[in-house]
Amino acid sequence: MIRFDGAGKRHPDGTIAVEGLDLTVPAGRTTVLVGPSGCGKTTILRMVNRMVEPTSGRVLLDGTDVTELEAAKLRRGIGYVIQQAGLFPHRKVIDNIATVPHLLGWDRKKARARAHEMLELVGLAPETAKRYPFQLSGGQQQRVGVARALAADPPLLLMDEPFSAVDPVVRAGLQEELLRLQSELNKTVLFVTHDIEEAVRLGDQIVVLREHGRIGQVADPATLLAAPADEQVAAFLGRDRGLRGLGLRPAGSIALTPLDEPFAGWRLELDEAGRATGWTGHGEHRPAAAFDPGADTLRTALDATVLSPVGAAVAVDGDGRAVGIAARAAVLDALDALHALPPRDEAGHGR
Amino acid sequence: MNWLSWISDFFSSPDRRSGPDSIANRIGEHLAISGEALFYAALLAVPLGLLIGYSGRGAGLVTALSGTARALPTLGLVTLAVLLVGVGDTAVLIPLVALAAPVLLVAACEGVRGTDPDLRDAARGIGLTHRQVLWQVCVPAALPALLAGLRTATVQVIATATVAAYVGLGGLGRYVIDGLATRDFPLTVGGALLVVLLAVAAQLLFAALSRFALPAGLRKQRR
Repeated sequence: MIRFDGAGKRHPDGTIAVEGLDLTVPAGRTTVLVGPSGCGKTTILRMVNRMVEPTSGRVLLDGTDVTELEAAKLRRGIGYVIQQAGLFPHRKVIDNIATVPHLLGWDRKKARARAHEMLELVGLAPETAKRYPFQLSGGQQQRVGVARALAADPPLLLMDEPFSAVDPVVRAGLQEELLRLQSELNKTVLFVTHDIEEAVRLGDQIVVLREHGRIGQVADPATLLAAPADEQVAAFLGRDRGLRGLGLRPAGSIALTPLDEPFAGWRLELDEAGRATGWTGHGEHRPAAAFDPGADTLRTALDATVLSPVGAAVAVDGDGRAVGIAARAAVLDALDALHALPPRDEAGHGR
Repeated sequence: MNWLSWISDFFSSPDRRSGPDSIANRIGEHLAISGEALFYAALLAVPLGLLIGYSGRGAGLVTALSGTARALPTLGLVTLAVLLVGVGDTAVLIPLVALAAPVLLVAACEGVRGTDPDLRDAARGIGLTHRQVLWQVCVPAALPALLAGLRTATVQVIATATVAAYVGLGGLGRYVIDGLATRDFPLTVGGALLVVLLAVAAQLLFAALSRFALPAGLRKQRR
């Protein structure tokens, strides 16, 4: 656990980067610092591993003031990932990953074995080990950066805009990978980004920052999107907060109707494997839109009913086999339940 | 042409094959003087350049100083050195070191300064000490620049080591100076040609070295 206790950083020229920050970063979860550039988020992150020394207040790591620890030793116990990966260009991937174990004095064999393990963990092929950083794509370099940070198995990971320099598709893959890793490893992660979408996707706790590292709001993603503390935070969150918030809710709560029950005169057609091939009715054939209640979110389910030319989406299992029909109204009922509204009929909304 | 026959005269003379005035002996002397000068220059300039480059303090001074040092007339320095320390190896080494050291100083300094700041930052951030950053990150990054500096210095020193003969020492300069003194032009032209060949050979050696001695990650960088 990290605690910022009135921590501040004033530069020698008098400019203030961060002022009087009080914040707790809980252990074993991902905390994302998000805010516009110049809000001091990177400075806050770098106070933890003493790359920036606080000029006021304290930063406590598991109760110990970090300034009481020897800087190099402290840093070896903290994983650090930066935007451009920062890999050593003259060293092979495997030696890059083994850097911290070497610094910690592990023997060569053990460090190498560990590095190979890390390579696999971050989803890189074993033959990547012998390559040099310049031979890798940006996304691969970033994976190596994460592997290097994890090699000595530190309980804490600092990530400073690690995925900002790669294209959106690769970034989505890296975020997915980080979520997977985190579900296995349960590290304490402090993650800095200027991208609110990334924050919502990765964070268990999101810290929205304003200038000088002042806190706008600390909340879990769903709460943040549903109830921003003020207009400034709301403006930073951007448009369609409500819809985006649905992206954090599982679609499993939607009430399904049986497959063989016609929907408003449309009947769902299935192939031998049980996959939906479309709707027939009113002398027409129309395509079907589907979602997976076990894996998708309410946002995807709602999207499927919006896309569907008949007003109902097909619920499918992991193999794509239809398991039920979700009427648009059933999805809306699930939305109502989020706000604990009474059922529509009783409330007199009618259908 | 005249000078072609001078060259063939030079190489066909029996004196070139054996004895103190043989080509092998003179090249040996020449390389010994050059090597010694480069060794001292590197000993003096490289560690200093690395430190200045790493700390970033005094880098401007280095550039200014090296510019001035390059303008020093070597022959004048030799004369001065002879007056100060008398005839001998040292009198030749002083101007040669003065020639090579600024080149190496700038190469080491700029090589280290050219290290990607993000890379240095990352290295510090994952727990390398300053000393480890210098040796494990900055020195490897400076290697191409250092090697290039060493090549320039070597070629210059080999070409200039001819002045050793000016104060009565050996080396290929012997042919040039003795030839001029006795109006033995084949001797002068042959000696000059050998100096040129030696300098070119050194150049080629370094080209090969920078191709094969650098780690693969540094040879082809996309940063």
